[in-house]
Amino acid sequence: MKKTMVIIVNVFIMIAMLIFVVLYSNTQSQNTAQRQIEHFENTTIAMERVTENYLEGEQRICDVWARYINSRNMTIDEAVSFIRISHVLPNASAHIVFLDSLSGLSSKARQDAPDDYSVSYARVSLLEDVRWISDIGSSINISRAYTNPVNGEQSLAFCNLITLFDPDTDVPKDAILLRVLPISELEQKWIFPQEEYENAELSMIDADGNYIIKDHSFKNSNFFEFYRSYNSGDTAAQELFEKITSSTGSFSMYNSRGEKCILAYTPIASKAEWVLLSFMPMNELNVNTENWMLVGIVSVGLLILFVFDLTVMLYFNQKLHAAAREAAFANQAKTDFLSTMSHDIRTPMNAIIGLTTIAKKNLDDTESVRENLQKITLASNHLLTLINDILDISKVESGKLILSPQTFSIVEAVENLVNISQPMIKEKNIEFHFRISRMEKEYLYADQLRLNQIYINILSNAIKYTEPGGHVSVDMREDESKKPGCVQLTYIVSDSGIGMSPEYMANMYQPFSRQTDSRVNSIQGTGLGLAITKQMVDLMNGTINCQSEPGKGTTFNVILDIPIAERQREDMVLEPMDVLIVDDDPILLETAADTLKSLGVTADCAESASKALEMISHRHETEQDYSIVILDWKMPDIDGIEMTRRIRSTVSPDIPILLISAYDRTDIEGAAKKAGANAFISKPLFRSTLYDTINDVLGTGAKFAEPENDYSDLHGMNILIAEDFDVNWEVISALLEMYGINTERAENGRICVEKIKSAAEGSYDLIFMDIQMPEMNGLDATKNIRALDDPWASSIPIIAMTADAFSENVTECLNAGMNGHISKPVDIKLVIKEIYRIKEEKKI
Amino acid sequence: MKKLSCMISAIFMAVSLTACGSKMNEESDSGFEPHLDTNTSCSITVAGSYDNFEALEAEFDRFNEVYPNVRLSYVKLDDYNNTISMALQGNDPPNIFFSNAGMKGNTKYDQMFALAEDLSDPELSLNLDCIRSGLINHDKDDQVVMIPVFSRTYGMLVNNDLFKKEGLSVPSTWTELLTVCEAFHSKGYTSPMMGYSLKSSGCFMNTVAYPAFAATLASNPEALELANALDPAAGEYMRPALNTVEQLIRNGCIDLNACDEIEDNYTQVILRFFEGDVPMMICTGDTVSGTKKRESQSEAFTNEPFEYTFSPIPLTDDGGYFIDSPSIEFSVNKNCDNPDMTNEFMRFLITKEELNNMASLKRLMTPTTDLSFDSVYAPFGQIPSDRIISPEMLGITDPLTVQMRVAAFQVGKGELSIDEAAAMYGSYE
Repeated sequence: MKKTMVIIVNVFIMIAMLIFVVLYSNTQSQNTAQRQIEHFENTTIAMERVTENYLEGEQRICDVWARYINSRNMTIDEAVSFIRISHVLPNASAHIVFLDSLSGLSSKARQDAPDDYSVSYARVSLLEDVRWISDIGSSINISRAYTNPVNGEQSLAFCNLITLFDPDTDVPKDAILLRVLPISELEQKWIFPQEEYENAELSMIDADGNYIIKDHSFKNSNFFEFYRSYNSGDTAAQELFEKITSSTGSFSMYNSRGEKCILAYTPIASKAEWVLLSFMPMNELNVNTENWMLVGIVSVGLLILFVFDLTVMLYFNQKLHAAAREAAFANQAKTDFLSTMSHDIRTPMNAIIGLTTIAKKNLDDTESVRENLQKITLASNHLLTLINDILDISKVESGKLILSPQTFSIVEAVENLVNISQPMIKEKNIEFHFRISRMEKEYLYADQLRLNQIYINILSNAIKYTEPGGHVSVDMREDESKKPGCVQLTYIVSDSGIGMSPEYMANMYQPFSRQTDSRVNSIQGTGLGLAITKQMVDLMNGTINCQSEPGKGTTFNVILDIPIAERQREDMVLEPMDVLIVDDDPILLETAADTLKSLGVTADCAESASKALEMISHRHETEQDYSIVILDWKMPDIDGIEMTRRIRSTVSPDIPILLISAYDRTDIEGAAKKAGANAFISKPLFRSTLYDTINDVLGTGAKFAEPENDYSDLHGMNILIAEDFDVNWEVISALLEMYGINTERAENGRICVEKIKSAAEGSYDLIFMDIQMPEMNGLDATKNIRALDDPWASSIPIIAMTADAFSENVTECLNAGMNGHISKPVDIKLVIKEIYRIKEEKKI
Repeated sequence: MKKLSCMISAIFMAVSLTACGSKMNEESDSGFEPHLDTNTSCSITVAGSYDNFEALEAEFDRFNEVYPNVRLSYVKLDDYNNTISMALQGNDPPNIFFSNAGMKGNTKYDQMFALAEDLSDPELSLNLDCIRSGLINHDKDDQVVMIPVFSRTYGMLVNNDLFKKEGLSVPSTWTELLTVCEAFHSKGYTSPMMGYSLKSSGCFMNTVAYPAFAATLASNPEALELANALDPAAGEYMRPALNTVEQLIRNGCIDLNACDEIEDNYTQVILRFFEGDVPMMICTGDTVSGTKKRESQSEAFTNEPFEYTFSPIPLTDDGGYFIDSPSIEFSVNKNCDNPDMTNEFMRFLITKEELNNMASLKRLMTPTTDLSFDSVYAPFGQIPSDRIISPEMLGITDPLTVQMRVAAFQVGKGELSIDEAAAMYGSYE
């Protein structure tokens, strides 16, 4: 649906809701108004009763006077005198006027003539027609408001017809008795209940609409004229007037100010055709304010909701657009990935298949076969690396990569790192330095596999992209971490390699990114290494930085905060002794001296072999020989082996000499031994390594006495291999047979369990367990074995040997009760290492 | 976001305008600046002789826009002329009361005027300049105890559409009048001019004769003195006026029989005029005041409305006269309750705008200097000043007017000749 359409629908819904609210509010307002109007009408009816009682009361007084006067055959003077006596209200008065002349006497003197009591109604159009005056006691005979001719006050009069005695003619004479009340006094009493409606007003009209009494808001002298003046003079007006004078009810009309008002009317029961009117501005009903507030609040609410929805909709639209772009990008990436994969997998596969074919054809040519097999091995390893990397990057990007921390030795890790690098360094004749500084904590708690992956990737890249004769240096430093319980490991790898362009560096952490360089194209690589490294560093909450310049080299800097393992080595302190350390690398000299000092040893440093010889000779002459001399193998003037030879020949045959090297020691081990070196130690010089080696040298006298491992201790071992796939079984059994290890096969987990159950104690030393097998998988089989009653059977070491190579798979295996994990394809060296580990643990 | 900003701005603007509206309500539309606390609560009563005074009640409402808590009411006093003095001294005296020029000099109203405030007092700040100077009467002490709120004059209602229909122009001279009447006659109009003729009070004869007589007296102070003294010798000065009446009837401008069918000098005169077949209806300004309300009461006028104006009767070849007399005047009871607010109301009312507004509602001639605002009375605004006569300023008294009225009526009815009528001056009652 288009945005415009959505907005239209929203606006339509808002309008519909507002209309509903307005209609509902109006209905409620009308209901409330109707109730208030009914209440107003009822109050008017109540006022009518009050008014009626009042008028009846006043009329009754007049009636009593009239009856008395009539019964006594009084003259006008006597009647007025009687009234003066019986009159009690100070502001009221009484007038008696003869019907024929409309003149007579007042109970009070004229305003303008204090002695004059005469009164005339001749010019007051009130008594020309007296048919409205009923017989005594039959009705209320009240006049309209008129001007009292005696004092000029606006007044009302209650009237009765009386008969007076005329002394002049001796005959009765008709007269009118008027009990006159000032309106000002009446107005103070005759008001609408203020507590009900503040501005409600009252009036009384006769059948013609003339006001008997009128309040302020009633304009004109006639209510009907008032109505016509300010309201449309429609033909229904006459009907309205007839209704007013004959029933009780109410209607709305406009007052002289154009305000809508409510007029309630009710006839006065005791006075035919008179009507009581109550008048009040409609806004006094006060029914609309809340409703409009409701409409306002709903409007604002809907508006806010609309704006909010619109904003959210736009936001999600943007997100959807972004997601769509990302999906398209991902799709393109997938296509690119598959294309690259196809290329990168086919390349080594092509080599493997091609070289296999060549080897088959030249089976007689042993040298050719060996060469081809060597190349096939390289291609296979590359393929394996590629697959591992792909799996890793896939895991990382899907967010499923979980770190599996465990306690490990950073010394072993670094040694492993150096060992792995040595072949390439040697092959490319690269100058290699590995320096450590302040490495105090040997055991750390982290995912060693992933940490190794980070360090190896960076170092192997440095070696890979450094041309022969170049140099690569590694600096590792342990610092205090801001995270409690952690150390900060800084790992810096610098090379003098081909370097990277800024354009490439911008995307170097993207998968399958490789620099476009003719030199690079000749180098094997998956293009995933840096991407995986970056993801791993991020996963371990570390940082990775890179400075590089094309043609000058690259420096990677990785900083990781790694928890310290609970297990640490006991305090390593050597007996006080003097040690001379000789190396042309001043940094190494400095760090090694620091390390030796921390071991309680006094270390002297010499940057060259010649200087070292002088120092050794001088010590020897003063009979203060160094307790031990540590020599770098590779020095510019005299190498370590020659130096050893000279010390032995010219100074002393007994001074213990340690040779240190950053290179593969196997190549120099023989010569060094022959020259008289006591032991060999690889760079970097860890504190624990130095401690152990020095202790060994000073304790045994000769480390090189250790015989070369011929794996004879593995001969006769019995290993049960649970493997459903025949080829795999053949491969592993053949490999192990090479080491004199006996193997037996279980085709699935169930058979494996049964074999263990039925086996005599000690029949097997170890089980290699595949995971995915028919009938019973390796995990269940392990659990069943661990649940066996036989202590030997239930505790037999079980190593997973599986193609499920992820860390969570490792964790899963360990959780099931296994003792280790080897991923396929198997590296026989790792297998043997694992067997040794198991053997060592057994000894413990 | 831009739309939202616009909506918020619109709401702010609406709120601002509402606020402005509220503020504006505190001031009168007329620009009246209140001098007292606008929250003052009090009552003011105006007493008068009118049965209804809706025009004044409309002013009450306008005043309440400034002073919402002032309760103003109009009270009609029965037998006003005899009760007003007592009412002023009674328990509930009015604040403002009707007065008129005829009361001045009559001892009966001495007490009333003794209670009247001097409205020319500068402290009251009343804008008397907005009223035509000929209508303001300064007494012997140079006080102004009454201010006209309406004025009255004599003239004729003219059916302008009928003139257009017949292709005739409204006459502005005596000759043109006679010519137009003859033209209407020839077109079948039996009485081109009409008026009330049943009684002398309010009869058309007086409406024609009085301006002419007043003009004669205005030009002859000696004659005025004689006339006010009711000296029979002043009868001679009535001749021109009486001649005019007689000529109109004799020339067929007015058909007496047709006029006699009009039963009263107010409603019936108006309704007859609204029949639409009378080109010119002779009447006073008081009668014209009833036209507005009766337009809707006349079925003929409702069916076929027409444009009409009130013009001076062109009694001479130089045109007609504008007899400019005050009608109802307001006086202020100086002993009333709330005198400050009473004077504040008078200050509000005595302005060109409010008096014109009230005159417009009442359809009476305004006393202000601006006659053009009401199209009906607009022709009087075009009368040159030398033809405007103010009887009160001139000193014409009520007894004089009675002589003229009765004489004109009897001459017009054919009951007396002009000679007889002139000879009887001073004897009419």
